[in-house]
Amino acid sequence: MVRDMTEDPFESVVAAHHAEIHRYLVRATSRPSDADDLSQETFVRAYKAYRALPPDANVRAWLFAIATNLSRNHFRAEGRRRQAMVMATAGASERGSSWPEGEAIASQASARIDRIVTGLPLKQRLAFTMRKVHELDYDAIGKSLDCSAESARAHVFQALRKIRRGLDDLEVVHTERQP
Amino acid sequence: MNPENKTCREIEPDLVAVAAGEAGASATRGVERHVGVCRGCRDELERYRVLEGMVADLRRAPLAGADPALSRAELESRLADIRSRMVAYGIFSSPLGKILIARSELGVSMVRYVESESAGRSYLTRLAGGEAVEDKAAVEATYRELLDYLNARGTRLGWPLDLRWAGSDFQRRVLAATAQLPYGAVTSYSGIARRIGAPASVRAVAQALRHNPIPIAIPCHRVIGSSGDLTGYAGSKIGLKERLLSLEGVPVGRRAHRIERGHMYILAEGEVEYCVPSCGSISRKPLGEVTLFGSRQHAEAVGLSPCTACRPDLHPISS
Repeated sequence: MVRDMTEDPFESVVAAHHAEIHRYLVRATSRPSDADDLSQETFVRAYKAYRALPPDANVRAWLFAIATNLSRNHFRAEGRRRQAMVMATAGASERGSSWPEGEAIASQASARIDRIVTGLPLKQRLAFTMRKVHELDYDAIGKSLDCSAESARAHVFQALRKIRRGLDDLEVVHTERQP
Repeated sequence: MNPENKTCREIEPDLVAVAAGEAGASATRGVERHVGVCRGCRDELERYRVLEGMVADLRRAPLAGADPALSRAELESRLADIRSRMVAYGIFSSPLGKILIARSELGVSMVRYVESESAGRSYLTRLAGGEAVEDKAAVEATYRELLDYLNARGTRLGWPLDLRWAGSDFQRRVLAATAQLPYGAVTSYSGIARRIGAPASVRAVAQALRHNPIPIAIPCHRVIGSSGDLTGYAGSKIGLKERLLSLEGVPVGRRAHRIERGHMYILAEGEVEYCVPSCGSISRKPLGEVTLFGSRQHAEAVGLSPCTACRPDLHPISS
């Protein structure tokens, strides 16, 4: 509104970031319908605070921080964390296949990693997704999770080790890289 | 990689870091040394590298069941709704003291005399909560127009108005009728009551104007008591009412805070010609049935012509 009655600078923020924040929240909540709600909430909150944001602020990292907070509150409030964990564990044990070997099955591999990620403790899941999927730096991730950059990094590494074990449990790994 | 081996256990985080391309020089050297002699950890490093590649695919892989388009559309309509409810405001210095100005997408929603910036802020926050956002730049142009007006560089504030803070339909009708009073003209509370077809509601009119959310733009200072007393303004700021009227060329008795009816041109209800105060029986009409003008110029500015009997054009009131 108001600064310029016809063009709201916030519209370009929505245009630039909504799809990515939505994608992040699908993984953060593991439910697309929750991502629909929380991504809206993220931008509604951002809209109200946008004016107070310093002009040199990293808008993208700031949106991730809001989305992350909302995800954490969401799980705190609804106690859905455990339910998600149970679902993920059940899902993982039904499947068993080898490590994927190429592009052809890349999306299948992605789906399997996503399932394992769903079962991770929330902070690890969020840190992993921000770092590995959205490539945020550890400072930004630390700010989102109210922890230091070092802790953020530790969460990501913990997640990687658990994912690696999750894949390992399913099948023996073949180890030689193809030339 | 041997879980029984202490070195293998301790080096695992560095394997992860090297695979992720985030290890420092010394950790990298340590890993290189170790995998040179440990087949298990060499394989493990390789697995982490493969894993990094798979993880990178997550960036491109489609997400089952996720479609941001609908959510985005809902978001846009929520934002439009919030936008229409929001007001931006600023608090400025003026010849009449500190003034708070607020406006929305629809128009100016508040002009208010405030004791201090903090008092203005807390008033508006109480009234509007999170929907009021301080943004001086957004109301700067409105402020400039108001300053011009107060410095007699303009006689019209052609602002679109947002009457969100008018409390009732009755108050809206009172404010709308008051907004019709021309620059340099006055009438009484009873005059406004007659204009909205509620001639008995004089006190209610006074009450409605006391809570005028947009003074100056809705010129409640042009509405006075039937006896010619200025009565009240914005609480106890009768001095401001006097200044606003003086600015418009309305003669005000300084001591008594009274309009000098004998020094003003008169327009009777339903007429299109204005008169000098002594024309016919017009001087005996109650203030509620007439409109007074401080000058011919302001009467003629709204399309009135001089009375052909008393000829104010030939016999102007001496000031």
